[in-house]
Amino acid sequence: NFRKMAYQGYGGPPGVYSSGSGYGALPAGFAPAGYSGQSYQLGLAGYSQLPTIDPQVQQWFMSVDTDRSGRITAQELQRALVNTNWTQFNEETCRLMIGMFDKDFSGTIDLYEFQALWHYIQQWKQTFDRYDNNRSGSIEGPELQQAFMTMGYNVSAQFVQTVVIKFDHYGRRSLTLDNFIQACVMLKSLTDAFRQRDTSMTGYVRMSYEEFMSLAILYKP
Amino acid sequence: MSYGSGYGYGQQQQGGYGQAPPQQQGVDPNWLSGIFQRIDVDRSGSISGNELQAALSNGTWTPFNPETVRLMIGMFDRDNSGTINFQEFMSLWKYVTEWQNCFRSYDRDNSGSIDRNELKTALTGFGYRLSDRFYDILIKKFDRQGRGTVAFDDFVQCAVVLQTLTSSFRAFDTDQDGWIQISYEQFLTLVFSLRS
Repeated sequence: NFRKMAYQGYGGPPGVYSSGSGYGALPAGFAPAGYSGQSYQLGLAGYSQLPTIDPQVQQWFMSVDTDRSGRITAQELQRALVNTNWTQFNEETCRLMIGMFDKDFSGTIDLYEFQALWHYIQQWKQTFDRYDNNRSGSIEGPELQQAFMTMGYNVSAQFVQTVVIKFDHYGRRSLTLDNFIQACVMLKSLTDAFRQRDTSMTGYVRMSYEEFMSLAILYKP
Repeated sequence: MSYGSGYGYGQQQQGGYGQAPPQQQGVDPNWLSGIFQRIDVDRSGSISGNELQAALSNGTWTPFNPETVRLMIGMFDRDNSGTINFQEFMSLWKYVTEWQNCFRSYDRDNSGSIDRNELKTALTGFGYRLSDRFYDILIKKFDRQGRGTVAFDDFVQCAVVLQTLTSSFRAFDTDQDGWIQISYEQFLTLVFSLRS
């Protein structure tokens, strides 16, 4: 459903999530392509204007939505992304990507969410390329921290080390693009979830045991 | 030690890392060595993740959950070789057997997989006090077959993840009231550091 996307998007008005609490907002120019100028503000009553669908995106979507249900699963998403010329994302990453949007736990996303996801991936790739200075196909700790900062996440070098350790599958202390994307998916989902609960914007949340467990399980790698 | 108060952390069972029920008779090492050799298909002298995955069955005729395999290797790979030698295998085998017994005991209808009610019985038996909504999340997250039930490999993964997370929570919950105050970065770090 379109309305539930209202509070998902990166681009709140600049300054709403200013770096005081450490979340960072995306700099204004970073809104996913095609969404700038669209209003995705919180919970307005009527619809905001639906974004236009890129015909190419629609083609990718429909090529895997074989039962024409209008929704695709993680497995279908995996196929769709291969068709767009991405090297294969593992299924767990695709599940996490669906989780970015999937409020009702259906395990599926619709065409608009797919397009939004596609735009996020494009943005993340651009960021990756920007920081892969030597074109090695991977980025290291300090570059990674800068990349996260650019995306609006004000995180410490120590946290970045945690990410590198977690995703560095080749022992090279760096992240390849696929790993970087997976890290971005998790970072976004966790930040959104945390932000939602930090209503007074203190950078701290009081959480019950079950709430903590639910969040960690939902968004864990 | 039991944390059976309102929020139900889950009991700390013997056996260290996992929550597998304790009982264990002696096992003939020669017999176990035979099993080890059959699993070590390339005769390298130690068992890799792939070999282990191929050897384990989850009862669904699909490959054993690779994340569960990674978890188990991580638990028993004492020398950090990335593989399991025979010494390490003896402990791993014992661990898997205990989980199999546990799984079978909760799979009341012998269906080969654990449905939502059986899962609730199992986890409540381990000492957890969790809401129905939480069980929805668990099934959604760990049911890889998409049938609303949890196969053996998913069951193990679920239980180990629950225990790891509970330990993390406990570390923050200094006054043990079931609530924590956690910062943005602490929260991120916690989830990112989770081993599968």
